[in-house]
Amino acid sequence: MENLDAARLQMAFTLIFHIVFACIGMVMPFFMVVSHYKWLKTKDQLYLTLTKAWQKGVAIFFVTGAVSGTALSFELGLLWPEFMKHAGPIIGMPFSLEGAAFFVEAIALGFYLYGWGKLPEKFHWFTGIIIGLSGVASGILVVAANGWMNAPSGFDYIDGQFLNIDPVKAMLNPGWFTQALHMTLAAFASTGFAVAGIHAYQVYKGRKVALHTKAFKIAITFGAIAALLQPISGDISAKDIAERQPVKLAAMEAHYNTEKGAPLYLGGIVNPETQEVTYKIAIPGMLSFLAFGDFDAEVKGLNDFPEDERPNVPIVHYAFQIMVGIGGLLMLAGLLYFISLKKKKWFTKSRYWLFFVLLAPMGFIALEAGWIVTEVGRQPWIIHKIMRTKDAVTPMPGIVFSFYTYIVVYLTLSIAVTWLMIRQIKVLNAKNN
Amino acid sequence: MLYVVLFFLIFSLYLYVVLGGADYGAGIVELFSSEENQKITKKTIYRVMGPVWEANHIWIIILIVILWIAFPAYYNILVVNLHIPLTIVLLGVTLRGVAFVFRHYDAVIDNSQKLYDAMFKISSLITPIFLGMVFGGLISGKIKMVEDVSTISFYEAFINPWLNVFSILVGLFFAALCAFLSSVLLIGESEERKENIYVRKATIATIVVFITGLLTFIYGYIGEYVFVKDFIKNPYAIIAMIVSGLLLIPLWLTIKSGRRVLSRFFAGLQVFLILLAALISHFPYVIITETKQVSLLENIAPDSVIKTLGISLIIGGAVILPGLFHLLKSFKMIKILEQHNNPSD
Repeated sequence: MENLDAARLQMAFTLIFHIVFACIGMVMPFFMVVSHYKWLKTKDQLYLTLTKAWQKGVAIFFVTGAVSGTALSFELGLLWPEFMKHAGPIIGMPFSLEGAAFFVEAIALGFYLYGWGKLPEKFHWFTGIIIGLSGVASGILVVAANGWMNAPSGFDYIDGQFLNIDPVKAMLNPGWFTQALHMTLAAFASTGFAVAGIHAYQVYKGRKVALHTKAFKIAITFGAIAALLQPISGDISAKDIAERQPVKLAAMEAHYNTEKGAPLYLGGIVNPETQEVTYKIAIPGMLSFLAFGDFDAEVKGLNDFPEDERPNVPIVHYAFQIMVGIGGLLMLAGLLYFISLKKKKWFTKSRYWLFFVLLAPMGFIALEAGWIVTEVGRQPWIIHKIMRTKDAVTPMPGIVFSFYTYIVVYLTLSIAVTWLMIRQIKVLNAKNN
Repeated sequence: MLYVVLFFLIFSLYLYVVLGGADYGAGIVELFSSEENQKITKKTIYRVMGPVWEANHIWIIILIVILWIAFPAYYNILVVNLHIPLTIVLLGVTLRGVAFVFRHYDAVIDNSQKLYDAMFKISSLITPIFLGMVFGGLISGKIKMVEDVSTISFYEAFINPWLNVFSILVGLFFAALCAFLSSVLLIGESEERKENIYVRKATIATIVVFITGLLTFIYGYIGEYVFVKDFIKNPYAIIAMIVSGLLLIPLWLTIKSGRRVLSRFFAGLQVFLILLAALISHFPYVIITETKQVSLLENIAPDSVIKTLGISLIIGGAVILPGLFHLLKSFKMIKILEQHNNPSD
C-alpha cells in the first residue's frame, strides 16, 4: 500500500470512529439534563434512574471521544506535517477555542458526575447544561476548521507562501456556517435515533416498559426535530457547494457533462470509464433547481474540470445517495413519531417499536456517508485549490503499519464499548424500581 | 503577545507535567504495590483523581495546539522525526483513559476488572516513559535535519533520535518523577489511613528519580551531549537543581507533620525547578539536532496569528482557570465536610 493511501485510510478510519463517539458525547448530555429536569420537577423515581444510567453513558462516551480526539490532534501533524506547517497557524484559532470549550466541558463533567448530593440541586443540574453547550461549541469549532479546508480564506497565497494571515477571517470562512449547521443537526438526529432505537428494543422485548418508553420519548424528540430540520440545512449546503466547489457537486451527482436544466439522479450505478450512470431515476431539471434555484440553470459537469482535479466519482456519488436516502427516511420517521403522540394506541403495537429499532444505526450511517461526501469530494486537495493531499503527507515510510495498529486498537475499543453498554442496560433492567 | 503565548506554553507544559504526571504516577504506584495495597490504591485514585483526571490530560492538547499554531517549524520536527514514540504515547493515552473509565463505570464487577486494571497500570508506566523519550529525543542531538529523508536510512531518520540510551534514561527519569508526584499526592488520601504505603513509595520514587537523573547526566557527560555540557555550565540551572534537592527537607518535614497541602506545594515546586533548569539551560534552543540547534523562536507564526492566539488564550484562561480551581477546591472541601460528618470514616 502506498504511504499516501495508508495515511488517508488511517485518517479516515480514526475520524469515522471519533465522530460517532464525539457526537454521542456531545448530544447525550442534553437527553440527560432533560431527564434530570423531569426528575427535579416530578420526583418520579424512573427519571432519576434514567438520568444516572445516561450519565454513565455520557462518561464512557466522553472519555472515548476525548482520547480519540487527543489522538487526532496529534495525527493531523503526524500524518500531514506539511499541511500543519502552513495551515496550523491559519486555522489555529478554532482549534485553540475548541481546546477551551473542551476544557470547560471536562470541568463541568467533573462537577456533574461527582456532584450528586454534594452540590446544590440547581447548580448541579446547570453543570449538565454546560456539558452539552460546550460540547456543541467544540463540535462547531472543529467543523469550522474543516470548513476552511473546503473554503480556504483569511490569507493571500503568493508564490507558494501564505501571507497576510487573518485567523479570524480564516475561522469564519465561507464554509463554516453551512457545515456546522448541517453537522450539528446530523449529530442530534443520529444520536437521537440511535439512543431511541436502543430503548425501543427494550420496549419491544417488554423489559421495563415504563422506563424505556420515557427514555425513548426524550431521545426521539431531539432526533425527530433535527431530522425534520435537516433538509433545510441540506438545501443551504447544496447551494453553497454549487457555488464554491462545483466539482464536488458534480461528483455527488455523477454529473459528467455540463448542461442547462440538469436532471437529478436518484441512485444508479456509476461507470467512471464510460461516464455512464445506469439504473438511476432521473428527475428533469431538478439538479439545476436544487443547486441554483432555477430549473434551467447551467450545472457544470466533471468533464469541465482537469482530470487531476476530480475526486473519486463513484464513492462520492454512492455516499451522497446513502446520506440523502437515509435523511429522507429519518424525516418521515420523525413525522411518524409526532403523529403517534396523537394516536396513543400505536405505542402498544410491537411493529411500531420494531420500526424504530431498525432505524437505530441509520443516522450514523448517514452521518458517516455525509463526511465521506465532504472529505472524498474535496480530493485531490487537502486545502481546496491550494495544496494537494499527496504533497502534505509525512515523509516517514511504513504508515501502513501504524494504520493496522490503529485498526486493531480501535476495533477492539468499539467492541469493548458496545459490550459495556449492553451490560449497562442489563443492569438497568435488573434493578427493582 | 509573544510573551503571553510563551507563558501559556510553559504554563500548560508545567501543569501537564505536574497534573498529568501525578495521574500517570498513580498507575505506576498501583503497579508496584502488593495485591492488597493495589485495591486500596485503586479506590483512592478513583476518589482523588476521578473528578479531575480528564481535565489533567487536556493540558497536552492545549500544549500541542499552541505549538502548531505559534511554532509550526518546531512542531514539524517533532511530528516528523518523533512520529513513532508519539504514536506509542497516543495509544498509551487512549488505552489508559479507556481502562480508567471501564474499571470504574462498568456496571458489572467481574473478572474483566483484572484486564482493565492491567491495561491501566501498564499503560500508566509505558506512556510517560515514551513521553520522556520524546523530550530526550528532542535534546539528544540525534535528529538528522535533511532536505529529503529518503537519502538517509529509516533507522537514522526515525528510530535513532529516540531509541538511544540517553533518551531512554530521560524516559525513565520522567516516569520516576510521575511516581514521585503521585505518591506525595496520595499520602493521607486513602480511606484506610494507610499513609505509610505512600510515604514508602515516595521515598523509593525519590531515590529512583535521583539515580535515573544522575545516570542521565553521567551518560550525557561521558558521551559529550551538548545539552548536558551546557546544563552543567549554566549557573542558574545548577542553582535550580540544588534548590530542588534541598526542598526534599521541607517536603519530608511537612509529610511527617501531616500538612498535606503544603507537602504537595513543595513537590510541585521541586518539579517546577527541574523543568525550569532544563529549559533555561538551553532556552530558546529547545531542539538539539545533530548539526544545529533549533530555536523555538525561529520561524514563528506571523504577528497577526500570535496576537489572536494570545487573546484566545487569555479569554480561555479566564474562563477555565477559575472553573478548574473551583473544581479542585469544591471536592476537597466536600471531602473535609464528609469526614466531619462521619468521624468513624
